[in-house]
Amino acid sequence: MLNMKNVSKVYRTDTVETHALREFSLTVEEGEFVSVTGPSGSGKTTFLNIAGLLEDLTSGTYELDGRDVSQLNDKERSRVRNEKIGFIFQSFNLIPELNIFDNVDVPLRYRGFDAPERKRRIEESIEMVGLGSRMSHLPAQLSGGQQQRVAIARALAGEPRFLLADEPTGNLDSQMADSVLDLLTEINTAGTTIIMVTHELGLVDRARRNIFVRDGRVSDGVPELHLADLAAG
Amino acid sequence: MEFGPVWRAMMRNKGGYFLIAVQIAVTMAVMVNAFAIMQERSFKMGRPSGLDEANTFALVSVGFKPEMDSKALISEDLDLLRNTPGVINAVATNSYPLRQGGWSEGLHREPGVGKSVSSSAIYFVDEHGLETFGLNLIDGRNFSPEQVSWDKDSPDPWPATVIITQALGEDLYPDHEGSYVGKTFWFDDDNPANIVGVVERLQAPWPSWTGVERSMLVPLRRESNDVRYVVRTEPGYRDQLMLQVEESLANSSKDRIIRQVATVDEARKLAYLGDAAMIKILTFVISLLTAITGLGIVGLASFSVARRTRQIGIRRALGATRPAIVRYFMLENFLVSSIGIVSGAVLAVGLNMFMVQAFSLTPLAWYVVPVAMIILWIVGQVAVAGPARKASGISPAIATRSI
Repeated sequence: MLNMKNVSKVYRTDTVETHALREFSLTVEEGEFVSVTGPSGSGKTTFLNIAGLLEDLTSGTYELDGRDVSQLNDKERSRVRNEKIGFIFQSFNLIPELNIFDNVDVPLRYRGFDAPERKRRIEESIEMVGLGSRMSHLPAQLSGGQQQRVAIARALAGEPRFLLADEPTGNLDSQMADSVLDLLTEINTAGTTIIMVTHELGLVDRARRNIFVRDGRVSDGVPELHLADLAAG
Repeated sequence: MEFGPVWRAMMRNKGGYFLIAVQIAVTMAVMVNAFAIMQERSFKMGRPSGLDEANTFALVSVGFKPEMDSKALISEDLDLLRNTPGVINAVATNSYPLRQGGWSEGLHREPGVGKSVSSSAIYFVDEHGLETFGLNLIDGRNFSPEQVSWDKDSPDPWPATVIITQALGEDLYPDHEGSYVGKTFWFDDDNPANIVGVVERLQAPWPSWTGVERSMLVPLRRESNDVRYVVRTEPGYRDQLMLQVEESLANSSKDRIIRQVATVDEARKLAYLGDAAMIKILTFVISLLTAITGLGIVGLASFSVARRTRQIGIRRALGATRPAIVRYFMLENFLVSSIGIVSGAVLAVGLNMFMVQAFSLTPLAWYVVPVAMIILWIVGQVAVAGPARKASGISPAIATRSI
């Protein structure tokens, strides 16, 4: 489903060249729940950005659903992001001026669904994350866990092929984090592929496969030493 | 279109949008009424005087010998002028349209003190006046040479025949239908005058006078050392003949000087100097105000983009294309502009109604408000285009960055 081969990402300024990803290769099959871990600056977020078509890659190939997406123009990338990928961010990234209903509506409008279809999808996804009674609330009126649930509802409303989660419980207490993880597990069980960038041990355990990234390169499994770091920190 | 979400988001941050809407409303009200004033002034400046302006000039002969035979000199001068090649005709007169100085009289429909019903500018001319001025005689006839008399000061009695303008006829006889030729009115309580002709148009010398279209030709030559001549030339000969005529008249008599040689075009410029200045000032004010409003919109939109950088990145991450981000800001501006423009339109019409009543201004033409609305909508959209384009360039990757 997701197939990256020898992907490199280089950030250049006038004086500095930073290799964020080097010869990065990864295949994720449909229905997998993959966690991506690694130390700070290892390239996790760069991988997430490239996987989510939020950034261009410098070299290599990236296929999504069998289609090479590494050379798409901005409009096509926006469409693929909108139709195939759901994003869950660490800081929820809800739009503060919009209520819950309108927040979930944002990607659906860009998709071009008509109003009744959008309404159906919004209500279903918000009900699914257990916030059916909060549709007219603003994000600021919800707890962190509830806001993350709204973000999940927003990610799921468009029925994407896979979810990209960036530290989805990073801003939550343990109880709320568990509830969000339960929800993600449930979504994965229902068939949605999930790739989750995290440095939390509890999350790594939830994933069926763990990817460790160091110095912009990938290796399957999490080294023991790193697991100890994660447990400690 | 994201009308609903954009509107609801705006309603949660009303302050800045409200101020811009007020600014647009004030701009609209001022723009519309300033334009109405400009339009009125422009119309006033564009009115034809009735003269063949492009081919007419005037000059004044000032005699400085008290004992000089001014009657003979005027006759010689007129002969000289009329026989100059390129001159169509010439006349001695007291004034001409746009000169801003002249003679006026109260007119009566019946004899008697205090029965004035109208007033008119008076041009003393001979039978050559009609052709010299280039007037369009629409009814009756010209003066015959026998009807033209000489007088030294104020006419006493007034000549018994006159040629009036159509506008004067309508003012003197508002209920009369048909020809004014043959009708009689009175000067000075007891001097009757018979209308022998009607011209389509001949403005009074004072362009700002409310009765500017009311004037008449009176068949009288005034015997004076100071004489004003009006000369009409063949097309294209005016400027050349002005110099030639000035020199010829100066050479024909050493007992006078020739001065105030000026075209009617120059007289028009002088007469409407204030109106032209007003139009320039109002154009500047409108332009300045519109520019300030545009800059205000640019400022608000730029601030809005800067404040919502992350939000724009999130929208991009969720699938918004660059044009979709541009459309968002365009729509936001359209909504706030529309509030300002519609409020401004109401304010503009109200202000105009007040000005019509208080300053006798002409009511707004029907198209002024819609045109101003379209202009301000365009200004708003153009002003927001830059910040909106900037917003569309924000990377979606910003969504994954830590705050």
